[in-house]
Amino acid sequence: MTLLKLENITKRFGGLIAVDDISLEIETGELIGIVGPNGSGKTTLYNVISGVYPPEEGRVIFEGRNITKLPAHRRAPMGIGRTFQIPRPFSSATVRENVAIGALFGTLSGKVSVDESLAIADHYLDLIGLQAQKDKTAGGLTPTDKKLMEISRALAMKPKLLLMDEAMAGMHPKDLDDMVNFLKKVAEEENIAIVAMVEHIMRAVTGFADRVMVMHRGAKLIDAPTAEALSDPRVVDVYLGRPSEVKHVEG
Amino acid sequence: MRFFYSSLLDFWEESEIKISKYYPLIPVYAAYLVLFLVGFTVPGMWQLMALLAFYCALGQSWNIFMGMTGYVDFGYVTFIALGTYGMALGITIFYQSGLGIGIIFIGLFLALFLSTLSALLEAGIALRLRGAYFAIACIAINEGLRHLIEGTRVWGGSEGMIFWQELVEAFGRETTIQLTTFWVDLAVLIIAAIAALITIIFMRGKIGYALTAVREDEDAAKVMGINTMKYKTIAFVVSGWLGASVGALAWGLKLTHVFPPDVFVIHYTVECIVVVLLGGAGTLLGPVVGGLIYGLSKYWLAVILPGFQLLIFAPIVIIIIVAFPEGIIGLLKRKAKGTRFEKYIM
Repeated sequence: MTLLKLENITKRFGGLIAVDDISLEIETGELIGIVGPNGSGKTTLYNVISGVYPPEEGRVIFEGRNITKLPAHRRAPMGIGRTFQIPRPFSSATVRENVAIGALFGTLSGKVSVDESLAIADHYLDLIGLQAQKDKTAGGLTPTDKKLMEISRALAMKPKLLLMDEAMAGMHPKDLDDMVNFLKKVAEEENIAIVAMVEHIMRAVTGFADRVMVMHRGAKLIDAPTAEALSDPRVVDVYLGRPSEVKHVEG
Repeated sequence: MRFFYSSLLDFWEESEIKISKYYPLIPVYAAYLVLFLVGFTVPGMWQLMALLAFYCALGQSWNIFMGMTGYVDFGYVTFIALGTYGMALGITIFYQSGLGIGIIFIGLFLALFLSTLSALLEAGIALRLRGAYFAIACIAINEGLRHLIEGTRVWGGSEGMIFWQELVEAFGRETTIQLTTFWVDLAVLIIAAIAALITIIFMRGKIGYALTAVREDEDAAKVMGINTMKYKTIAFVVSGWLGASVGALAWGLKLTHVFPPDVFVIHYTVECIVVVLLGGAGTLLGPVVGGLIYGLSKYWLAVILPGFQLLIFAPIVIIIIVAFPEGIIGLLKRKAKGTRFEKYIM
């Protein structure tokens, strides 16, 4: 079943075209990587999907419903969760309260009590391995722990679609592999479609995504199964400039 | 029987958990009780107690919006002023109606009504703005309202309203004196207690979580599914109600007059800010501690060094705010973490 459908999305900031005529379909439970160099429009695309701002052209359709004009706070409970490139914790609140906020406001029923939301928070913090930090204020966490907290906060929203913005940047390769495995497991258990956005850590994409969309200067360069997309000469060109270096890097 | 006993025990434990959420009210109410008892029993102390109750009530009312959302409303005095006008209107319109003490409740109701109108208007205009823009928009609304009243000559225009005679006619001289020198001050203390109760209910509830998210990162809050405008407006209106009630009682009914240049004064907003920041913004006990310290120092400095109080007080405030940016209670809360006092301080 199609979960999210983007139809010819264009977003401009003044004269700058940040997202240029992008169409994309995401199925329920699918794992997708969005790859592109810095400034290629990935975050803007996320902002359009999560409702931070509307696109100038095109439609965003979620579970068959046109949500192009819906404000962000009404999209989240429908099942669109997200993490940020630079983590945005609610710093003065504890880690547990941060995750509870996701459960309190981000779930569809809207009938989660404060106590229930704290219980949900405990569950996801256990799952991701942050239970020891749960009573600390979120502002005092290490950058990696902040990312983990954001992921549990997004998961506590019971999303159907989880947009992850560079969640794996700056991680140790070992942690990164653990994270990829964790995400795959959660996605399967809770039937979440995960879109992971990656600037240059291909290890995260190859291990994680079934399908990759490569963006370049706001436009879609290619949308194909992972191996095929990453070895496409145009993609290599965007990243490395010269096709002859491909084999060297990939090997 | 045994089952009955154990389920009774469960019920007790459960309700104890529920009650324990409200333990932080204990120090607040203890402070108010001491305030009342000292004022009531020690001769000559009642006026000081009234002043302290006024600052505690204002600080707590203001804290509900500013402390929880981080929005600094420099025009907060608008609510206090409108509350004063509400009381003045209630008394001058209805003093011959034979409703007795009811006209004071009509006055309070009008105070709440006017503050709600202005809060919703301000929410529509100013709450969409942030930071300095919000603060300045609120000042503009405050000044605008004052000039509107003076310019259009409604509600007595720049001459204001004086209603001592009306009160005497409605209640008689003795009762009016009783009312304006004792009951009004007690009522302000009760408003302070209600404000504390609302604060803790907000903090423990869904709205408290929403407002914390707004204060820390409003855009992230929206993406988490929080209708930020809704929760900000609720806190703004409720904070306005409490401010208007304080105005209606401590300025309206107590002074029995209202003049635009006396009530639409930003200075009082600044006092609110000082009280809240001294004690700790966004804490429950903070405005009480801040109100007591600020009120007491202002009172004593005026006695010891009349005319110099601001000169002395300003640097003290600056030092305290630089040394403990999270306020006295913020600091205390951090120190109390992990001790048995933790559950009483919020």
